[in-house]
Amino acid sequence: MTAGLEARVAGDIVEPAEDWRITFIDVDRRIARLSDGTRSLLAAVEGAGDDWVVTLRGRRIRVTVRTWRERVLAEAESAATGSRGPIEIRATLPGLVVSLSCEEGSEVAEGDPLLTLEAMKMQNEVRAPRAGRVTHRAVSPGETVARGALLLRLE
Amino acid sequence: MAISRSEPTLSVRKDSSPRRPPFRRLLIANRGEIAVRIARACRELGVESVAVYSDADTDAMHVEAADMSVGIGPRAASDSYLNIPAITAAARQVGADAVHPGYGFLSENAGFARAVEEAGLAWIGPPPATQEALGNKLAARRSVTAAGVPVVPGLLVSLEDDEPPDLADVGYPAMLKAAAGGGGRGMRRINRAEDLPAAVESARREALAAFGDGTLYLERLISPARHIEVQLLGDRNGGLAVLGERDCSVQRRHQKLVEETPSPAVTAEVRRALFDSARRVAATVEFHNAATVEFLLDGEGNHYFLEMNTRLQVEHGITELVTGIDIVAWQIRIAAGESLPPELLDPEPRGHAVEVRVYAEDPYAGFRPVAGAVTAWRLPAGPGVRIDHAVIPGAELAPEYDPLLAKVMVHAADRPAALARLRRALDEMVVGGLQTDLGFHRWLVEEPGFAGGDYHTGLIPERWGDAGPLLDATDASLAALLATRARETTSAAGAPGATPQAGIPGKPDRSWARQARSEALR
Repeated sequence: MTAGLEARVAGDIVEPAEDWRITFIDVDRRIARLSDGTRSLLAAVEGAGDDWVVTLRGRRIRVTVRTWRERVLAEAESAATGSRGPIEIRATLPGLVVSLSCEEGSEVAEGDPLLTLEAMKMQNEVRAPRAGRVTHRAVSPGETVARGALLLRLE
Repeated sequence: MAISRSEPTLSVRKDSSPRRPPFRRLLIANRGEIAVRIARACRELGVESVAVYSDADTDAMHVEAADMSVGIGPRAASDSYLNIPAITAAARQVGADAVHPGYGFLSENAGFARAVEEAGLAWIGPPPATQEALGNKLAARRSVTAAGVPVVPGLLVSLEDDEPPDLADVGYPAMLKAAAGGGGRGMRRINRAEDLPAAVESARREALAAFGDGTLYLERLISPARHIEVQLLGDRNGGLAVLGERDCSVQRRHQKLVEETPSPAVTAEVRRALFDSARRVAATVEFHNAATVEFLLDGEGNHYFLEMNTRLQVEHGITELVTGIDIVAWQIRIAAGESLPPELLDPEPRGHAVEVRVYAEDPYAGFRPVAGAVTAWRLPAGPGVRIDHAVIPGAELAPEYDPLLAKVMVHAADRPAALARLRRALDEMVVGGLQTDLGFHRWLVEEPGFAGGDYHTGLIPERWGDAGPLLDATDASLAALLATRARETTSAAGAPGATPQAGIPGKPDRSWARQARSEALR
């Protein structure tokens, strides 16, 4: 039925609800209607390749859809890289760097505040995703950064 | 003179004749949905509307909605929508005779109101002196106390860095607030005295950045409490209409997310007391045009004055739904000198209305704002549904401005019917491209406390938290179905379900075939 595709949500394999029917009611805008015969609801679906996002009842659900070949490749890749090694901290929103609470060489624990980014009229605290040492500071207070811009490197 | 001529047999009622437009050309000093809302009112009144836009908004919907438009500067709000010389120059350039500031930006800036009036234009809002008197929350606390209106116990003077204030009658937990505040900025909950210095520092920085004034004060935390506001509309000839209350207790970061009118917590007796206080507050200043008096309501039905907002509120639409009064149109007519007719001075609200604000923010991650562009965009319609928005699908949201996407408002005979209508409307709405708070609103409609009308400002922290409920297994399974099917049908590129050829051989996309058939029948 699904041609050997495997769907994962938050890392877990999920069996598609095959008893529901899909109708694409707005092809351009990628809006689908789901129905199980007695109930129906609307959803948006967007993505490409193995990376898809389904919006259902207002919630965006990220689904990784992989072929058999992609699964084998992904497993080989994750075996090669561990959870250690340098990581880059990037801006998830465009905004203004208000202040930095770390310096190059600082040792930080997981969850420690690293810097404050003002975006959408809010002060957003950027925290360390794991413990490590700050090896590079790419920004200074007062600087405006684009979405995806490198802020810090952690090792 | 006395010679009578036969009158036409069909008499035309006096109020059916076309009304003379209150102004010739009105400049809207705002953007987004509220600028569209004001342009609509202008069109209905026969007033030409002028939009202003920053470099980020050249193709924005509010520019399309107005008759004319003028560029006022770079993307940053401080260079454009907050740029008083640029906006007043634009008003002169187009020959406007009135300016409506909307909400936010310069709407409560007395300096701007003065600049508009000094340029010889009409200011659509309460007089600048009134804005000054009430714009400072601390000064307002002092003056309304003198007028016999209850205020939250706390400081009546500003909190200085160098002298520790006498906090004996405040007590903890307390709320730290910015005197120039609004929109929850510069506001902090203080649980213990030792938390105060650090909170003062960060709140002062936030208040300075947002309002250019770092004055802070402290008041007792009223908890649990409901946030109730009273809508006022006053003309320049002494007429004052109280257009009912709105319950704005569903908040995150001290900012409103959902509003309803009437409030399920307000009894007839409490309503009389609230309206009386609102009138007393208005009487402390020279008031005309539209304003809102905000109160906290505790569990015993006691109310405490918080502040008076001397501008149009985001949530004015639900009051329009239950009263049938076009508040924006009346703001404009009042500014031109018109008096409120008797039936508006004593309105009888009908039914129940609810508004949910759809923001580009992630309720599953602490309601954090998100960036991006809206892709899929399907809006609800039908009986009793009103949508105010300014979204153009495909356009990247400007991170410089408020992330409000749409206001979904419903009106029905009573509260249960209004909530059923809201649930229906939310089920009709689809937004793709970025996370919104729609999932939160859908949850809220069925949340027992909210559905029963029994909730307070702690609803979100206590019942939703930072991430809401876990993903439902059925929804995960439905998402897996849609994603796998979408991938199958796009194996040769294109949108999911777009081309039957791209599908798996022997599995033609039935919806596509059906659409092609229906087109052939047209």
